[in-house]
Amino acid sequence: MENSGRRTFLGLCLGGLAAAAAAAAAWPVYRYLSPRSTATTAARVDIPEKDVPEGEAKFFELGGASAVLVRKPGGGLIALSAVCTHMGCIVQWEKDKLDFLCPCHGGHYTAEGAVISGPPPKPLAKLPFTVANGVITVG
Amino acid sequence: MALLKRLIDWIDVRIGAREVVAKELTGYLLPRNINTWYSMGSILLFIFAMQVATGILLLIYYVPDADKAFKSVTFIMNEVPFGWLIRLCHTVGSSLMVLVLFFHMLSVLFMNSYKSPRELNWLTGFILFTMVQGISLTGYLLPWSQLSFWATTVATNSVGAIPAVGQYLVEFLRGGKLVGPPTLGRFFALHVALIPAVIAALVGAHLFFLQRTGVSTPPFGQKETANQWKGDGYHYENHPGGIPFFPVYAFEDVRSIFIYLACFLGVVFFFPNLLFTRDAFIPANPLLTPAHIKPEWYFLANYQTLKLFPSEFLGLAVQGVAMTFLALLPFIDRGPERHPLKRPLFMVCALGGLLLWIGLGVWGHYS
Repeated sequence: MENSGRRTFLGLCLGGLAAAAAAAAAWPVYRYLSPRSTATTAARVDIPEKDVPEGEAKFFELGGASAVLVRKPGGGLIALSAVCTHMGCIVQWEKDKLDFLCPCHGGHYTAEGAVISGPPPKPLAKLPFTVANGVITVG
Repeated sequence: MALLKRLIDWIDVRIGAREVVAKELTGYLLPRNINTWYSMGSILLFIFAMQVATGILLLIYYVPDADKAFKSVTFIMNEVPFGWLIRLCHTVGSSLMVLVLFFHMLSVLFMNSYKSPRELNWLTGFILFTMVQGISLTGYLLPWSQLSFWATTVATNSVGAIPAVGQYLVEFLRGGKLVGPPTLGRFFALHVALIPAVIAALVGAHLFFLQRTGVSTPPFGQKETANQWKGDGYHYENHPGGIPFFPVYAFEDVRSIFIYLACFLGVVFFFPNLLFTRDAFIPANPLLTPAHIKPEWYFLANYQTLKLFPSEFLGLAVQGVAMTFLALLPFIDRGPERHPLKRPLFMVCALGGLLLWIGLGVWGHYS
């Protein structure tokens, strides 16, 4: 009985040591493989107003994700996330139709990001922006 | 525990796992006078697995492009969390793999275990040795540092001494007249794909031959030390009354692996720059040859031999003859006696050769 207890105790100690060693080896590998900080691109982006003419869209990176600035005919500006709400593809600007098309599954959005047709479940997210001294600051 | 037993039972009734364990592990008996040197193979398998694992991890961040390779290695070392640890494990592991491989071959040599019927074990082991040298050489270039660039220039240049086809071979190896981006592409493919696959296949063949011929009996502590195999038919060398591989010798293997790990981690943590010279931290510059470029420690004897002979071809030829002699040793040394102390000529040649190799290496280091 005493031997059995000792054996169990030693087995538990060995198991504990093995688990600690495995954790010590796995932690560096986990850290090595973990995605680096998503803030690889700035959380605020400055874009000169002249880069976004009427009827055009300007795509850019914002906080590690894709975003787009659109200037509607008449001068109104809109900043949107360029990530389709269906499966995460990046939408494309259709200049002739003044809307967005997601090429993956044919989702259509208006220039304001509202869903026109196709599978997207919700509109493109709107992003805050300010305009000062000819510079548009998004984020 | 009950769940584990049920799982084992579930597997056993389907594939007869207990029978395999009884035959290959608990019932696999080893000679009673087996010693620690027999663990070198297990350590080498462990190192190879470590090299594959750390190599795959390095591939995630390494960029095999001459313009980006050095930067990507610097990024791994300085920016990626624990990148320095993964890279040091890979570089130190490669050097220690060669060292343990030397110990393994020396133990086989001095215990005369290469003798018939184990010629194929020796031959596959010897080819493995050259492959390990090859994978070390090709991996050396990948950081694209001054050290790797010029060491590769020197190493590939020596092939040019082969008459008639030498210059063509140099260009073929390099992918051009000089070491450059095409060389990096070639060496990268060899290092991460072709040579590891060949090593894995050779390890499989080596273990298969071991399995078929049985573990050799060490000649020490035996009355009869002559080779009993007459070559008259297939014979499996079993060891009735021997010690079971599992758990007895498997634990000995684990202990040896832990001793290796202690030495390995000692170098990684306390002497991380042991294998690097100043030139290893400078990006490759094809227009600026650094002074005193030396190869890795295990190529120093070859390097010094090339310098000793007035003709580079003669230096290469001598090394080629020595390597061929070693590769074919079991076919040349056919005497039945296996105890090294009963073979004075063998001992003089083996020890003399070993001392010569060490001496040339030390000379090469300080020259």
